[in-house]
Amino acid sequence: MSGNGTTGTADIAFTLDGETVTARPGETILQVAERHGVRIPHLCYAEGLRADGNCRACVVEIEGERVLAPSCCREPAPGMKVRATGERARRAQKMVLELLLADMPEAPYRADSELDLWARELGVEGSRFPARPAPEPDLSHPAIAVRLDACIRCTRCVRACREVQVNDVIGYAGRGANARIVFDLEDPMGESSCVGCGECVQACPTGALLPAALLRLDVDAVLLSPLDWSWSDEWP
Amino acid sequence: MMPEKREERAGQRKLRVRPTPKGRVAEPQAVAEVRQAIDELPRRADLLIEALHRIQDAFGALADRHLVALAHELRLTPAEVYEVATFYHQFDIVRAGDPPPAPLTVRVCDSIACELAGSARLLESLASTLGRSLRVIPTPCVGRCDKAPVAVVGRRPVDRATPESVEEAVLAGRTEPAPPAAIDYRTYRDHGGYRLLAEWHDGGRDVEELIAAIEASGLRGLGGAGFPTARKWRFVRAAPKPRVVVLNADEGEPGTFKDRHCLETDPHRVLEGLLLAARIVEAEEVYIYLRDEYPAIRALIERELAALAADPPCPIPTIHLRRGAGAYVCGEETALLESIEGRRGEPRLRPPFPAQRGLFGRPTLVHNVETVYWLREILEEGPEAFAARGVRGRKGMRHFSVSGRVQRPGVYRAPAGVTARELVEEYAGGMLPGHTFYAYLPGGASGGILPASLADLPLDFDTLAPYGCFIGSAAVVILSDHDRARDAARNLVRFFAHESCGKCTPCRSGTARTLELLEAERWDTALLAELGEAMADASICGLGQAAPNPVRCVMRFFPEELET
Repeated sequence: MSGNGTTGTADIAFTLDGETVTARPGETILQVAERHGVRIPHLCYAEGLRADGNCRACVVEIEGERVLAPSCCREPAPGMKVRATGERARRAQKMVLELLLADMPEAPYRADSELDLWARELGVEGSRFPARPAPEPDLSHPAIAVRLDACIRCTRCVRACREVQVNDVIGYAGRGANARIVFDLEDPMGESSCVGCGECVQACPTGALLPAALLRLDVDAVLLSPLDWSWSDEWP
Repeated sequence: MMPEKREERAGQRKLRVRPTPKGRVAEPQAVAEVRQAIDELPRRADLLIEALHRIQDAFGALADRHLVALAHELRLTPAEVYEVATFYHQFDIVRAGDPPPAPLTVRVCDSIACELAGSARLLESLASTLGRSLRVIPTPCVGRCDKAPVAVVGRRPVDRATPESVEEAVLAGRTEPAPPAAIDYRTYRDHGGYRLLAEWHDGGRDVEELIAAIEASGLRGLGGAGFPTARKWRFVRAAPKPRVVVLNADEGEPGTFKDRHCLETDPHRVLEGLLLAARIVEAEEVYIYLRDEYPAIRALIERELAALAADPPCPIPTIHLRRGAGAYVCGEETALLESIEGRRGEPRLRPPFPAQRGLFGRPTLVHNVETVYWLREILEEGPEAFAARGVRGRKGMRHFSVSGRVQRPGVYRAPAGVTARELVEEYAGGMLPGHTFYAYLPGGASGGILPASLADLPLDFDTLAPYGCFIGSAAVVILSDHDRARDAARNLVRFFAHESCGKCTPCRSGTARTLELLEAERWDTALLAELGEAMADASICGLGQAAPNPVRCVMRFFPEELET
């Protein structure tokens, strides 16, 4: 039973893919990995939002633990041995991406969809699972287009709306494969209490939420990433 | 001059303000109705689920306008109320313009034991005869697998249901359950009940001695995880006060009905154990989280808690009884804590563990019903005697829920280390006539499926690990030569897909995708294996981690079933 949220002030030395690295107090395995150029896919985690650990793309193997752990939510303990890009972790990471890819529309809504970029980087090409019935688009809001057929249910929009802007218009309703993003009582966004702040659009990794104006442009997919993707040699 | 201008501008701006806020507004009439329905209930967010129950009980369903009014009343947003209301299966949301809810709902259990007993035909028959005037729907395990198939008319279970017996219950208006014949407070005390607790309160016993006794007995968590009870107590005692104890009475693992048995027959034995545990960790508050599928037990516990409070054997902590709302995943201890706090029953990430940060952020001891049920007996007869009752090198006793193709399905007290064959032959009266023992589930839906050729393995924690199986809640479901393991696996995976909370990808999407793959005549075993590994490795909680077990077992132990 090792604790999370360690409050110490000393740096923590642990092993990441065989290299000894040092975490600053409060840093997660994912943050340390990013600092050291170890690439771990992640979708529900975004800087500025509370880490939720739900997408499971960032799972890593920790020696002595039965199952994989979400690196976005785990702080390393001294001497911990973490394998982030080992075979077992990579297999799970890739399966998560493959499951999510099956839920995507045929053509991406964002050329810089974080899901597509990670899939490309890890060599996940398409999905062996059949496409699901696509939910209808919701274009009722003058400023924001909602197309949940590109939603990976990472709940970044929920946290952006509820915890960053404290508007609390967006909820996560239903259960299982039927779990879905909703506005108020599953109302059309344009009729909901949404004030159009745009925080959810900023947060969405796949373009399921986009500025409505962009849909009126004659382009296949838009590129509006506020994130730094300069590492990618596959930059579209 | 300047001030005037400013006023003018302010006035103009005022004109542009919308007459109502954007979005839904609570109607005064709906607010009044909600206030009446939830009455004296404190207006706290953690009581949201209880409030939803009261509104549904009063109006037969949850209407949009009541949800908005409730949000207003509890100082929540409509989204927060809606996401919780849509999470729990027992809540029926009726949108504006939808037809009103059916006057009565008949639920037909479609989990494994009931399916073996013909629930599919029963459902079909009832849907055609009653379906026009009532709502007839399938429902996951209602914890009466010994009396399969089971239908529930309103709140009243109809055991060994036939289309005729269900119709009869409907026509007679029998929709409330009969109270169980339990040992009441007076009788329990007259037979030495609560003596331990009282003695303990008077300082007659040393805490460390008590913990050591339970340690020596080998008692482990009987909800399924098998964590050593004494060790759990030590962890919680090491955490700062105030501490909380939670009783997990959200029994829902298909094939499991031993907690129902313990509560229906001897509720005070459970309560005394619970209060002993509370005293050991010096908790000030105790919560009981009871599944909503056990309404007769809820009434019983309410009654017995009142009797206990009226004449306690010693000062006791505050006991809160909370009602689930139809969600198997809430049996997972962290999802259960979320549910008590009034949210969707989604599991939390660990660490931190509940012993460190649990209910309302406090160090929390979570116990299964059966675990605390044993405490009195262990302390009275002595830990060594209890431990010695195990066989084949195992320690202690437990309640096995035996169901499926046996003569006398039921709850049996049997030694840890008993085998499935012994349970069938020596406890459950043998196989049904015309049935040959073919396979068994050692631990409900989650524990995997084993062939009858492995029916001589000792059943206990850890003993089945080499076979990729586990005993879990000791729900032993017996299959015969009339059944196929692959059909059982499909039933179990359908259950997991239905019960997945939807939080993490491997479980939300993985259970649904596995089910799709199982529908095929020829299984894609390579993809199923790959998917199963990711689900077991990367899901947040035990539901998604165990969901591939039945499928993996079919591929490992019943390959001939997959040859087409």
